[in-house]
Amino acid sequence: MNKNTLLPLFTGSALLLLVAVPVTFVLLQAIFPHLDSGAFNAPFSAFVRLFQDRLFLGLLSGTLKLGLGVALGCALVGIPLGTLRGLFSLPCAALWDALFLIPFLFPPYLAALSWMLALQSHGYVQQLLLVNFNNVLFSLPGMVIVMTLNVFPVVYFAVSRSMAASGSRLADVARVHGAGPWRAFFSITLPLALPAIASSLLLAFTLAIEEYGVPAALGNRSGVAVLTTGIEQRLADWPIDMPGAAGLSVVLVAIACCAYCVQGIIITGKHVETTSGKPAAVVPRSLGYGRYPVILLFSLVALVTVGLPLASMLVTAFTRTLSGGLTWDNLTLTHFIALFDVQGEALGALTTSLSLALVTALIVGAVGLLAAWLVVAQRIRFAACIDVLSLLPAVLPGIVVGVGLILAWNRSFWPVTPYNTWGILLLAYCCLLLPYPVRYVSAAIKQIGENLEAAARVHGASAAQALRLITLPLVWPSLLAAMMMVFAVASRDLVTSLLLAPAGVQTVSVFVWRQFEQGSVGDGMAMASLAVLLTLSVMLFAVRLQNRQPR
Amino acid sequence: MNALKNKARQLSFIKTGLLTAMTFTFALATANAQALTVYTAGPGSLAKKLAAGYEKHTGVKVDIFQATTGKVMARLDAEQANPRADVLISASWDTASSLEKRDWLLPYQSPNATHVPAAFKTPYYVAQGISALGIVWNTKSGTPEPKDWQDLAQPAFKDKVTTPDPSLSGASLDLLIGLQNVHGEQAWKLFGALKANGMIIAGPNAQALTPVLQGAKAAVFGAVDYVSYNSIQAGETIKVIFPASGTVIVPRPMMILKSSKAPSQAKAFVDYVLSAEGQKLVADAWLMPARDDVEANRPVFNSLKILPTEAADSTVRKRVLDKFATLFAAK
Repeated sequence: MNKNTLLPLFTGSALLLLVAVPVTFVLLQAIFPHLDSGAFNAPFSAFVRLFQDRLFLGLLSGTLKLGLGVALGCALVGIPLGTLRGLFSLPCAALWDALFLIPFLFPPYLAALSWMLALQSHGYVQQLLLVNFNNVLFSLPGMVIVMTLNVFPVVYFAVSRSMAASGSRLADVARVHGAGPWRAFFSITLPLALPAIASSLLLAFTLAIEEYGVPAALGNRSGVAVLTTGIEQRLADWPIDMPGAAGLSVVLVAIACCAYCVQGIIITGKHVETTSGKPAAVVPRSLGYGRYPVILLFSLVALVTVGLPLASMLVTAFTRTLSGGLTWDNLTLTHFIALFDVQGEALGALTTSLSLALVTALIVGAVGLLAAWLVVAQRIRFAACIDVLSLLPAVLPGIVVGVGLILAWNRSFWPVTPYNTWGILLLAYCCLLLPYPVRYVSAAIKQIGENLEAAARVHGASAAQALRLITLPLVWPSLLAAMMMVFAVASRDLVTSLLLAPAGVQTVSVFVWRQFEQGSVGDGMAMASLAVLLTLSVMLFAVRLQNRQPR
Repeated sequence: MNALKNKARQLSFIKTGLLTAMTFTFALATANAQALTVYTAGPGSLAKKLAAGYEKHTGVKVDIFQATTGKVMARLDAEQANPRADVLISASWDTASSLEKRDWLLPYQSPNATHVPAAFKTPYYVAQGISALGIVWNTKSGTPEPKDWQDLAQPAFKDKVTTPDPSLSGASLDLLIGLQNVHGEQAWKLFGALKANGMIIAGPNAQALTPVLQGAKAAVFGAVDYVSYNSIQAGETIKVIFPASGTVIVPRPMMILKSSKAPSQAKAFVDYVLSAEGQKLVADAWLMPARDDVEANRPVFNSLKILPTEAADSTVRKRVLDKFATLFAAK
C-alpha cells in the first residue's frame, strides 16, 4: 500500500467508526420513526409532530438564551484574564493555570449541586453570612452564571496560549514604530488571537447548549427548560420517544452548526502566521506595580469559581447530616470510610474512570492530530469530510451520542459488538471529545508558516516525517493541553456513562449520581472530592512534564 | 539481509498485534457470558447485597444495572432488538403490567412466593418489597407538623414544599391517581392550591428530599418512604408522616424477561430474593418485605389507609400526567 494514503485511510476509518456510525443511526431514527421494526415508512413524521408541540418553542428559546448568555459571560471573564496571563509575566502563573483547570474537573452537575447547597435558602452561605441568594441562583441568569464559572477556562486557556504564542513580538515591532500600547494591542495582538477567541467562544456556546447536568439540577426550580433536558425527558419518560429525542437532537445540532458557520465567517481572510521559523525569544512583559490589582483580580475569580464550589463540596463530604448544618460536632469522616467499605465498588469506579479517561486521551490525541494536520496542512481529497466528521461531535450532546451508540451497536446483526462492555464507553468518550485536540491543534497549525513543512519536504522528508519532525514538535504544547482537557472531561462525563455503562461497570460519575439519586449526598460528595483530588494530581503532573520539555 | 530481518520483525510484530486484538475482542464478547444480568430500580445497596448473597449460594456472578425506573425501562426499550437483561426489578407495578401486555415476560411462580399476599403477585411477576408514599417533614424547619396532604397548602408552608416529578417517578403518579380516584375534582383543587402555595417539582425522589434535608424547603409531598428512613438512620432530623386520609403503597415488581438466555439462573435469583434471607435484606433496606412472614423494620401496609389505584390504564396515566404538567407549567 502506498505510504501516502495510509495515514488518511487510518484517520478516515477511525472517524467513520467513532463519529459517522452513531450519527447515522440517530439521523436514520429521526427521519424514519419506525426504524426499530425495520420499516422505512412515514419519513419525517416525527418532525411534524415535534413542531406542533407547543413546548418546543420554550425549549428552543431556553437553549438559545442559555448558550448566548454563557458565551457572553465566558468572554467577559475569560478574555481579560487570558490576555493578562498570555502577555505579561504573571506571578505564580502555573498556579493560576492549575487553579482554573479545577472548574473543568468538576462535573457540571456536581458544580450545580455544590452551588445549590451553598446558595439556596438555609444553604452554607446563608448559615455563615446571613445573605440569601436563593432567588438569584434559581433563575436563568443564575444558571448562566453557574455554567459560565464552569466553562470559562476554555476561553481563558485558548486566549492565553494564543496570546503567548503569537503575542508580543509583532506588537513590539508596532511599538518600535511608534504605536501606543493600547493601539498595538488592538490592531496587532487582538486580531492575531481572534481565531482562538472565536473558536473558544463557540466551544463555550456549544458546551452550554449541550450541557445536561446544570439545567437538570437547577432548571426545574428556575422554570427554564432546554433542549437537552427535553431530549432526556423523552428518553427517561417511559414509554420512550426515540424519534422525538432524535428530532430534538437534530434541532440542537442545527443550532450548533449555525454557530460554527458564524465563527467561520469571522475568521475567513485573516492571515495569522506568526511562527516563521526565525528564532525569537518570547519575553513576557513585566506588570510593574500593576501586578497587585491583577493578582487581586485573579484571586477573586479563583475564589468564586474554585473556592466556593469546592468548599461546598468538601463541607458536604465532611458533614454527618445536612439537617445538622455547619457545626463542629457535625464533622465526620464516615462518608469517606463508607467509600472504602462498600465491597470495593468505589475504588473500582475510580479505576474504571481514570483508565478510560487516559486511554481516551491517547486515542483522541492521535486521531485528532492526524485529522487536523490532514485538513489544515495537507490539502488532500475528502479534507472537508474529515473536517466535518472530526468537529461534528462538538455539536452533539452526550446523550445523543449515547443513544446513537445504542442504536448502532445494540443490534443482532454485528458478529462482535462493543455494546455492554466498557468498550462502548471508550467509543462514546472518544467520539465526544475528538473536537478538543482537533480545534487546539488546527489553531496551532494555522499559526505555523507553510514554508517550514515545505522546506522539510524539499529536503526529502515524507509527509509522515514532516508531521513527526516539524509539525508535531511545534503543536506539541497545544496537543498536550488538549489531551489534558480530554482526560479531565472524560473522567467526569455523566450522561453517556449513565446511558451506556454496562451492568456491573461503574464510573465515578455514575457512582456519585446513584448516591445522589438515593439521597446519600455526603457519600456522593466524598467520592467526588476523592476523584477531583486524584484527577488534579494527574493533571498537575502533566503540566510539570510539559514545562520540562525543551522549547 | 538486514532489510529481510527487518521485514521479518515487522511481520511478527503485526502478527502479535493482530493476535492481541483478536484475543481482546473475544474477551470483550464473552466477558458477560457466565453472569446473570439484573436491571433494577433503587436502592442500589440492596441490589448489591442481594447479588452478593445470591453469588455466595450459587457461584453465579450478578451484573447489576441500577437507575430510576424511568431510566431502567428506557434502557430495556432501547435494547429490545438485542436484549441483555435477565431479571428486572421496577419500582412501579404499572410497568410490569405493560411489559406483560407486550408479551416480554416469562411466567414463573416461585415456590417461595406462597408467603406473598395475592395482591402482590401474578403468574408473571411478584413483589420484591413494598414502599409507601408519605409526607417527609424537616422537624427543625419551624413549621407546624403536617398531618394531612392539604396541610401543605396552608400559608405556613408557603414556598416550602417539594414534590418528586410524576413523569420520572411512577409512585408519584400513583399518588395523583389515587387521590383523583377518591376525591375527584377536589384532588385537582388540592394540586392547584399546592401550586399556588409555591410547591416545586424537583426531579426524581431523592432530589425532592435534598432541599428538605438542608432546610431550604420544609416538606416533601409524596416522598418514597425508604429513602427517608435511610436518612433518618443516618441522623437527619426528618420525619415520615402517613396522612390519615390515605396514601398509596408501591409494590416493586420483580420479573424474568422472556429473552433471558439463562432462565434457570434467573428463576433461582427470584427464589433467592423471596427466600427468608433475601427478604431480610429487603427489610433492612427499610422496605416492607413482600412476604408476610418476614418482620419489617417500619410501619407495614396493614396499618395504612390505602388509596385505590387499580384499573388505571396507560391512557388514564397519560391524561393525569398531562393535566398535572399543564397545571404546573402555567405561570
